[in-house]
Amino acid sequence: MNYHPLVMYIVEQGVPLQTLALLLMIPVVATLVAFFRQVVGIKAFGIYTPSIITFALLAFDPNGLKYGIAIFISIILVGMASRYMLRRFRLLYLPRVAITISIVALAILLILVIGAHFKRTGLASVSIFPLLIMITLAEKFVATQIEKGSRAATFLAGETLLISLIGYSLIRWDGFMILILNHPWLILLTFIINFTLGKWSGLRITEYIRFRKVIAHL
Amino acid sequence: MFELFLKSQKLLGMNARNLDYVRPLNRKKAMRIADDKLLCKRILRKQNLSVPKLLGKIKNYEELDAFDWSTLPGGFALKPNRGFGGGGILVVYARKRGRDDAWVKADGSLITIEDLKIHIKNILDGSFSLSNLPDTAFFEERLTLLKLFKPYSYKGIPDIRVIVFNSVPVMAMLRLPTRASDGKANLQQGAIGVGIDLATGTTTSAIMGKGNIIEYVPDTNLVLSGIKLPYWKETLRIAVEAQKISGLGFLGADIALDRERGPVIIELNARPGLSIQLANLSGLRERLDRVKGIKIKTTDRGIRVGMNLFGGEIEDEIEEISGKKMIGVIEKVTFFGKDNKEITLEAKIDTGADSSSIDFEVAEALGFGETVRAYRALQADWEKLKNLTKEERWELFENIPDAVSTVPIHSSHGTTYRVKIQLEMLLDGTRTPIRPTLIDRSRLDYKSIIGRKNLLKFLVDVSK
Repeated sequence: MNYHPLVMYIVEQGVPLQTLALLLMIPVVATLVAFFRQVVGIKAFGIYTPSIITFALLAFDPNGLKYGIAIFISIILVGMASRYMLRRFRLLYLPRVAITISIVALAILLILVIGAHFKRTGLASVSIFPLLIMITLAEKFVATQIEKGSRAATFLAGETLLISLIGYSLIRWDGFMILILNHPWLILLTFIINFTLGKWSGLRITEYIRFRKVIAHL
Repeated sequence: MFELFLKSQKLLGMNARNLDYVRPLNRKKAMRIADDKLLCKRILRKQNLSVPKLLGKIKNYEELDAFDWSTLPGGFALKPNRGFGGGGILVVYARKRGRDDAWVKADGSLITIEDLKIHIKNILDGSFSLSNLPDTAFFEERLTLLKLFKPYSYKGIPDIRVIVFNSVPVMAMLRLPTRASDGKANLQQGAIGVGIDLATGTTTSAIMGKGNIIEYVPDTNLVLSGIKLPYWKETLRIAVEAQKISGLGFLGADIALDRERGPVIIELNARPGLSIQLANLSGLRERLDRVKGIKIKTTDRGIRVGMNLFGGEIEDEIEEISGKKMIGVIEKVTFFGKDNKEITLEAKIDTGADSSSIDFEVAEALGFGETVRAYRALQADWEKLKNLTKEERWELFENIPDAVSTVPIHSSHGTTYRVKIQLEMLLDGTRTPIRPTLIDRSRLDYKSIIGRKNLLKFLVDVSK
């Protein structure tokens, strides 16, 4: 493999190629999330959560995407269920989130055990870090539930998953990865894109839909 | 496609709101006033704007333990100081009969001091505040529902959102709580948003929740358009005043109408939502662009500009249906006299008068000086005229230059005979012939009256 000399130099210094590749992907994923927010109008849980979930999905590989999605959805379901269960106790905020995160952790453990029982070794051998990352989703989800209600939180979770999947496909696309490793300076383009996005005052695509009746009336 | 782009330029999207309005116009210091309800209340009250009365506040657990619950009245609202989107607000209506530790909520359910304590602890811990920072809880007086709103509103109190920019009210919306919104006047939670014609304070189109256009209050046959809001000008006034006081260049003021106190400012919003465009079926960006750069010195002027620019759609509709034009009680009129002489003045539209009249001076300015002189000479001994027959009188008046006819006018001062002249008049863009009588109106405010004979093509709106 012959990448850009700069990339080759860094690798020769002892930085693993995968670490380098993922670090170069962070600006790309972050820009993607910003683009989806400003131009398309897909909100998701901020910029951190969809970015980190993208990398978590990546860490489930090889062939682990289905497990990643399954765990993501399980966390959302467990989060909803625990809110429903805890509601009548009227607990203070942090203890309530602590209980939710605990339930989520135990639920994931249960899923792993069940997976192992049915000889789904792919699931059981998943490294702990993507799981930990996924669990942080629970807090984001519960906080949003309290602020905006269950429906909005579920909707935002769906958007987060959507953006993460798009980011995942982009990073997993070998052609793109090779392009970046051959021309690492392309990453600088994300700055230009983000400056443009930062000054973009046009309607978002979702707003065209939201205001379609007004537009028809103007 | 290009047309779609042009139309979309009239709308204010989230990007443009933040980039072009909220960020440059709402400075951090001003934002603090909007985000801190207690501070906002204090500042507005100092400037004599009406706000709900503060009944008590609890800053921490010690204050909660020491709180004297007997100071609370039967009805009150408990709110988080830095709450948003109507979250964490609890309203009670009366004390439970026979108990001094329980109140009744709107749905009839009971709420005890213990329940209140848990709710307040949640507020103190920041469960309802932006980014979950520790917060203060406060009690304020419960506003009373206006009779007019009773059939339209479910449980809670409706409020009016007014967007103010550059001291001009640019768009407004009435928000009605529904069953879906659980008595909260919050569109995101399913309340009804009703657009308002700024000129008249009359409701126009309506949406429910995220944007379904509706005509009736759900499950009823109550039409949402055409509701005439009371205290309209006052509502706009306090919204504009609140902008000046708060220093928020782009403001969404939430104003409730209390049965006894009239318009009361509930809260100020530094990042007003965009659904108001759906309720009004109109674009906010276009309106903001029209107001940008106008020098507005006084509140009155700001209100007038807003009313003139962003109202009158209802009027257009009525004009379309009736085929008649809508005019106010006082209107600008241009008279065209002899030798291309013309004069523009404010005339009183008087549906109590049969015919129109103009002042002697106006007639002179229009080239009828001779007529006025000859008529005044005759009028001097009109006691004599009284006993003459109609033909004999006309013989006398016939000699007055340019007189086209005479008419007896019966008023509280007795009967007079006046002379009429032939003119043309331009009223609200329509030019018609007119035969006004001549009279001395030099000591009156309006130098001309337009009577019924010349108003056949118009409808008069007395509120205008």
